[in-house]
Amino acid sequence: MKRQANPPRLADVLFERFCKNAQIEDLHGDVQEIFHLNLQKMSIRKAKCIYWFQIISLIFSYAVKRRKQNAQTRPYASASFSFAMLRNYFLTASRSLVKNKLFTLINVFGLAVGMSISLLVITFLSFIWRYDEFHVNKEDIYRIISTTRINSSERDWASAPLFLVPQLTQNYSGIAEIVRIKSSLNSTVIYNELEMELSGYYVDPAFLKVFTFPLVRGNSETVLEKPHSIVLTQSGAKRIFGDTDPMGMTVSLGDQEYEVTGVLLNHPKHSHMQFEALVPYKNIEQLYDDSYVSQQDITSFRNEYVYLQLATGADANRIEKHLNQFAATLSKPDNSISFELQKLADIAPGRPLSNSIGPEWDLPSLSGFVFVALLILLPASFNYANISIARSLKRMKEIGLRKVMGGLQTQIFTQFIIETVLIAFVALGIAFYIFSFVRYEFLSMLVSADAISLELDGRVVVYFVMFTLLVGIATGFIPALYLSRVDTIQAMKKRPAKSTTGFGFRKSLTVFQFALSLAFITSMVIVFSQYRQTINYDFGFDQANILDVQLQGVDPKLIENEFSKLSSVSDVSFSSHILGVQQVNPVFLSYNGGQDSVEVSHMYIDDRYIPNLGLTLTSGANFTGDPSSRNKIIVNEEFARTFGAADPAAILGQTFLINEGRVEVIGIVKNFHYRELTEPIGNFIFQYSENEFQFANVKVASHDIINSLKEMDRVWRPLGGEKKFEAKFFDVEMEDAYKYYFTFIKICGFLGFLAITISCLGLLGMVVLTAEYRTKEVGIRKVMGATTSGLVTMLSMDFIKLIAIASCIALPLTYLFFDKIYLRSQYYKLPIGAIEILISLAIITVLGLTTILSQTIKTAKTNPVDTLRTE
Amino acid sequence: MKGFIGEFEELVLLTIASFGNQSYGVVIKEEIEKRANRSISIGALHSTITRLEEKGLIRSWLGQPTEERGGRRKRYFEVTQTGKVGLHQMKKLRDDLWSVSGINLELTK
Repeated sequence: MKRQANPPRLADVLFERFCKNAQIEDLHGDVQEIFHLNLQKMSIRKAKCIYWFQIISLIFSYAVKRRKQNAQTRPYASASFSFAMLRNYFLTASRSLVKNKLFTLINVFGLAVGMSISLLVITFLSFIWRYDEFHVNKEDIYRIISTTRINSSERDWASAPLFLVPQLTQNYSGIAEIVRIKSSLNSTVIYNELEMELSGYYVDPAFLKVFTFPLVRGNSETVLEKPHSIVLTQSGAKRIFGDTDPMGMTVSLGDQEYEVTGVLLNHPKHSHMQFEALVPYKNIEQLYDDSYVSQQDITSFRNEYVYLQLATGADANRIEKHLNQFAATLSKPDNSISFELQKLADIAPGRPLSNSIGPEWDLPSLSGFVFVALLILLPASFNYANISIARSLKRMKEIGLRKVMGGLQTQIFTQFIIETVLIAFVALGIAFYIFSFVRYEFLSMLVSADAISLELDGRVVVYFVMFTLLVGIATGFIPALYLSRVDTIQAMKKRPAKSTTGFGFRKSLTVFQFALSLAFITSMVIVFSQYRQTINYDFGFDQANILDVQLQGVDPKLIENEFSKLSSVSDVSFSSHILGVQQVNPVFLSYNGGQDSVEVSHMYIDDRYIPNLGLTLTSGANFTGDPSSRNKIIVNEEFARTFGAADPAAILGQTFLINEGRVEVIGIVKNFHYRELTEPIGNFIFQYSENEFQFANVKVASHDIINSLKEMDRVWRPLGGEKKFEAKFFDVEMEDAYKYYFTFIKICGFLGFLAITISCLGLLGMVVLTAEYRTKEVGIRKVMGATTSGLVTMLSMDFIKLIAIASCIALPLTYLFFDKIYLRSQYYKLPIGAIEILISLAIITVLGLTTILSQTIKTAKTNPVDTLRTE
Repeated sequence: MKGFIGEFEELVLLTIASFGNQSYGVVIKEEIEKRANRSISIGALHSTITRLEEKGLIRSWLGQPTEERGGRRKRYFEVTQTGKVGLHQMKKLRDDLWSVSGINLELTK
């Protein structure tokens, strides 16, 4: 017998450590005996290997598990799960919830507020994740997306150049169908002399074969065969024809007539293609014939999309490789392109791409959305954990008794998890109420709101329930672990266990919550003040009392005649655009004889416009109003500086070429903001014309606005006929143009409200607990002569300090964020003042102090006799 | 009786019975490995033994420490009355089944 051979020590140590105080002497002995038997049969190494294997088999065996349980617990312990205990957990949980109404309220309400925004995110994401699921061929559909590198700046596009298509048809196998889409069919249809805007695509006939957009009328094989046919969606057809049967009707689109050959079922909202009409691609094919394709710059392919349906089992990677080999032949050193095949399922939600065909929900902004939801939910969860642990003393006796009676650690853990899940479900009810409140408000903030539905269906309800379970378990995890680990004897003595999550953790949590709330509130206040400043900014022209009337095709001369007669109108001028609100059209202008053309912003006005809007002519003269003015322009100072070089005034009298016509500069106006303040002032010209007008700018003299409008409406009626009088005050339109500020203010305000509710609830919980635990101390202090105000200060100071620290963190960060990131996107910066910061600080301080003082004053005022008597 | 006796449980139970009151982990393992020609891990064996004990089919007591066990005591096992009844029931069930199906189970045709 090899006496020196001993079993591996490490295995022994491991086994004994694992079993702790369980009775495993006989098991260990058995393994060792087997080892010695094995030594006679095999090498030491092999015997040791087997020894290890046996130890591991024991560690995972039922035998050791059972013995460990027996060692840990009392004779009454049972690991089996019984429904009687489950019932008991529910009963204890609901009793304890009812008994501590205040804390239940704080917990339930806090969690509900935190969960409400998550419900929104869940509904939203579950909708987005169903995008394009309805296509039967979804597994085989791919889109070609492109990446361009121009002068080393990269950009990803959803579109792809159409000259790829002949390549694909001639040279590659494995492609079942190719669909070209040009999404620029956005024009006015005319039916029965009624004009309507219609959005749609030029598509190849295979479109209806590849994508699942079912027809309700017409034959899918032939509807897109004839060149001048148009297929409408049900809603599009309804809009144009009303209740008349659209089949076979003709509408004019541009200068051509189209016949309706089919009607599509309205496509579901969760489609990344959103259209009302389809027109055969053939109609624009002549524009893109061979000569165009060969000339086409590889970098210009706006609104052109190529979708492929691959034959089943075809290899997308191979086609992608071929495409890129072809792309390499097109590339120049500073100007190259590459392609990728994007699966239909990866389009929405997908990577952020420029020039996307419809709503595609890029992943980065979606994750930002989830992040915000977590930012609200997590503090609420932590609050719960915080309060539960801080209040654990109240439950110590119960835990101790359960343990004495054989309650296992896992059972007590389960009990507290169940309690939290119960709270989470009550919170779900309230959260749902908040959710249904903010749902439509949220939709109205989104750009592509009509491509989104936040209605509930079975799937979303299941997600809600799963989410609530998850929140319950995650929130309850730390307190349950803490409470179940409490030592039995300590628990019976009602002594708190060693704190794993101490006061430091709770303090930093409060600081974090308040910093977050403050950041939201400050953002809201800053944006609001930015909005106010933008509206009141000196744009360089008058906005007050100017009513912009849409001409809608009525002759300007008639309007001028009729409106001038009204006593309330002091002046009328005409223009093609509205300054500062609309994007004005760029035109290309070239210098006399020069080759290069320059892009300038451009607008048609009449001779009255400049004085009417209070624009200042610095030199030169205004238009005179007779037809000779037509080839005259008035430029802004920026233009004069760009073209006049040293002496801006020298620009007067010079001539330029616009659209093949020669124009002469006759005047210079002072710079003004014709675009939003985010954009710099560029080169701008006014051109005189009598027939390009869209708006009449009516200067209203009277203060009685309602009557003036009524008068104008009366005058309008005989002129406009069927068309309604559409007019808006300039300053109102200005405010509308900056509406997006309000979206931001609303979002920040709402999030701030949620965050501050959660923070104040958490703070309230902490203050109540502290006050409760220190009642006796306060009583003794009072007996010894402390004043009420002194006690309030003492009790409140800790918490006020926390809020102060939170402000010190949040304010500089928010300021930096706006100063460095937000204002960078604005070309004309408006200052952020100390006032905004003071306002938000005041809001937080008032709310925080109210929370703290409401409890501390009550505690400080209690009669010491009441608190000290019960000893 | 609580629960059914599984195939491996029956094997262990019969092996314990074959040693009278002298069976402990190692000899049970060796015996089963020798007779049934299958390799079993000590963990699996003791799990089964623990279950048998919980079902009340065997009882156990601690014996004397020996040197090759690193000075650790043995746990001896013995089949209880319930265990014997269980084994008899099992055997009866098998015999009954054999007697009705024996004709179909002949190995040669």
